[in-house]
Amino acid sequence: MTTQTAAGPLAPFRVLDLTNELGQFAGRMLGDLGAEVIKVEPPGGDESRFIGPFRGDVVDPEQSLHWWTFNNNKLGATLDLTTLRGQELFSQLLEQADFLVETCPPDAAAALGLGAENIRSEHPSLVHTSITPFGREGPYANWKATDLVGTAMGGLSSLCGAPGRPPIRPTASQGYTQASAQAVVGTMIAHFQRTKTGRGQHVDQSMQEAVTFTHDNAMPTWDIRGINNGRPGNGRQIGGYKSGQYVYEAADGYVAALSYGGLFGLTARQTVEWLDHHGMAGDLTSDEWMAKLDATQGVLIPPAGEDGDYLNDTLVAFCKQFTRSQLVAEAQQIRNGWGIVHTPGDLLENEHLADRDYWVDVQHQEAHLSYPGPWAKLSKTPLSVRHRAPHIGEHNFYVYGNLLGFSDDEIMALSDDGVI
Amino acid sequence: MTTDKVFQGIRVADFAWVGVGPLVSKYLADHGAEVIRIESSVRPEPLRRAPPFVNDEPGLDNSGYYADFNSSKKCVSLNLQHPDGVKIAKRIVEHCDIVTESFTPKAMRAWGMTYEDLCEIRPDLIMISMPMYGLTGPWSMWQGYGHVLQAAAGISHLTAYPDEEPIGTGVAYTDFLVPHFATSAVIAALDHRQRTGEGQNIDFGQMEAAIHATETMILDYTVNGREQQALGAGHPDHDIYGTWQCAARGDDDDRWIAITVTSNDELASLAEVAEQPGWTSLESESLKQQIADWTRTQQAEDLMQRLQSAGVPAGVVQTPEDLRSDPQLAHRGHFWMLDHPTMGHRAYDGPSFRLSETPAELTKAAPLLGEDNESVYKNIVGMSDEEYIEHLVSGAFD
Repeated sequence: MTTQTAAGPLAPFRVLDLTNELGQFAGRMLGDLGAEVIKVEPPGGDESRFIGPFRGDVVDPEQSLHWWTFNNNKLGATLDLTTLRGQELFSQLLEQADFLVETCPPDAAAALGLGAENIRSEHPSLVHTSITPFGREGPYANWKATDLVGTAMGGLSSLCGAPGRPPIRPTASQGYTQASAQAVVGTMIAHFQRTKTGRGQHVDQSMQEAVTFTHDNAMPTWDIRGINNGRPGNGRQIGGYKSGQYVYEAADGYVAALSYGGLFGLTARQTVEWLDHHGMAGDLTSDEWMAKLDATQGVLIPPAGEDGDYLNDTLVAFCKQFTRSQLVAEAQQIRNGWGIVHTPGDLLENEHLADRDYWVDVQHQEAHLSYPGPWAKLSKTPLSVRHRAPHIGEHNFYVYGNLLGFSDDEIMALSDDGVI
Repeated sequence: MTTDKVFQGIRVADFAWVGVGPLVSKYLADHGAEVIRIESSVRPEPLRRAPPFVNDEPGLDNSGYYADFNSSKKCVSLNLQHPDGVKIAKRIVEHCDIVTESFTPKAMRAWGMTYEDLCEIRPDLIMISMPMYGLTGPWSMWQGYGHVLQAAAGISHLTAYPDEEPIGTGVAYTDFLVPHFATSAVIAALDHRQRTGEGQNIDFGQMEAAIHATETMILDYTVNGREQQALGAGHPDHDIYGTWQCAARGDDDDRWIAITVTSNDELASLAEVAEQPGWTSLESESLKQQIADWTRTQQAEDLMQRLQSAGVPAGVVQTPEDLRSDPQLAHRGHFWMLDHPTMGHRAYDGPSFRLSETPAELTKAAPLLGEDNESVYKNIVGMSDEEYIEHLVSGAFD
């Protein structure tokens, strides 16, 4: 673990985070960039504290790994926004903040004082980011969406899974992740504009539209060729052309081969030589096959049919004979960009990530726990993982005392009244 | 419409290729930065050679794949292997605020164009290098694509049918994930430079960003010692959470709807829409089969409308064709129609967020290879007519 002394690029700035699971990674990213992020929860704790898994599988709002993952680098304060007094306090907090990130449903925003126009008129220098399933306005604005509904409506699920079988989603929620990460881009663009003008603005992020941005080449393929890319199963596709197999079983797990199936494209000859070196190239060293492989090199369109099957069968037999590490190391030697299909255990034991000091020890009450480290290495203003997620109301005295100037007695009274 | 765009006056030398780098500079270009792509016909940007091609005719200026990621940009051709190539590249950088690149680290080192080298020309430079595995470490020279990186980052492990091989998403997923992290880092660095005058280097290892998209997978392992597993379309905490096949639309039998039920209220609403008062328990074993039998008789779009009206989170598994006619995306103006000299009138993706004061504007279609040679080399780099022709003839601009 390295100790960082320099502050992150957003260190001078403060964020109020009023997000649920759809958007809480956005606040996390701003915290990673160095901002002081204050997570505002209802008294008693945020709903996402009850999302599993939990430490030791014990359901406890202070032991949710979901909460820990998405709220480290944040401070925590409680506030009941459904009360008038709560809304007054929130407005005072906004005066002290540079960013507001929230996931309020569009039809409830105005009632909570979170309408875009309202915020802009009362807090003109604030960058106000709304993350919602479909966007703040439009025919679907008030529809509900979980992560799967987001990945379906945005088009990603139509590209995930196997033909003839149900469309799937990554079991780690990518609709939420994409909505949050793209919201941060919009937030940063608005922030940069503010450095020039002093004026904030509203950033309206849609989960559906964020997922749409992950279609790869599927939209131009429809636009130009009139083909829906569809679900490739254990294969790939590019521009509506199906490839051969993509994930191969090695002796000790799986490897992911170059995007078009491993033998096609730019490194076909080197790949055949590689297989031949191990005595497993089959007919591929023949002049006839070499001519076919050379013919694929100008354009990245994979061969199909019997030829494609033969290539795949040859590779399937080859890969089973070697470990993942050996396959990928040798593939990389001939500029085939293969990779290991990592499990979580593989990642934690990975020598490359260790060499780059990736994992960070985060102190919890009872233990130090390994977290993923910064997602970029900035030379002058480093990102950092500074502390664990907050307990319920852990920073109420800092937020209401230091920031808003209330006395300890006044804070206790607010607590007794159920406002915080 | 504001005339002062967010990144007006910011110039970017974009040496990056394929997905990640071009999508970073696309965000900047679509918000007003002057992005100059530096490419070569000697070793073309791979996406220029990737389908779909208009009329199925391969050509460096005919790929829809390339086009979509390169709106609002300029492009010069420059052969960095040519004896004058690197010298000319450095003259471009001298006039730029940001350099982006996504090669394995040896490329920029071989050309003498690392951050340290380029700082001598431009002390306040912001540079981002985006190799798969970062600038240092035993795997730093490994290459790859987003299809493979999703596997390396652990995302494919969580993207599969239960107990089957880890197929991953069908797309080069991390190409459409890590650019959001990289862009945020670049803008943060730009903001820091605006406030302090100080530039910096960004070592962006794509895998390190992508691991952050595995939700609780890492902590479940480090805290509970558990390797999370893929659940198809499913969710670890909710039984009714999946995709169900619907009635055919015309001769298209591949129509599906996502339905997710996470509370008893939502189950009651589902039961009401299905006219099945017996659907009262989320744990009923046969419920999934009954839902499947029911959705098979329903049109996906119609069913989505009825379920959403009743408060059940549901959505059609939309294909690219569906997305182009989606009323919500249309309301938000997601797709921009732009005219390209050889590809014609084509749809491009705009950013997924709406900025109230300074919205994105896709100002032009993707550039032809070398389209802006003359204006960039003469007006920005400052070449005379004579020098420009000399380099043209010598092959430096190939």
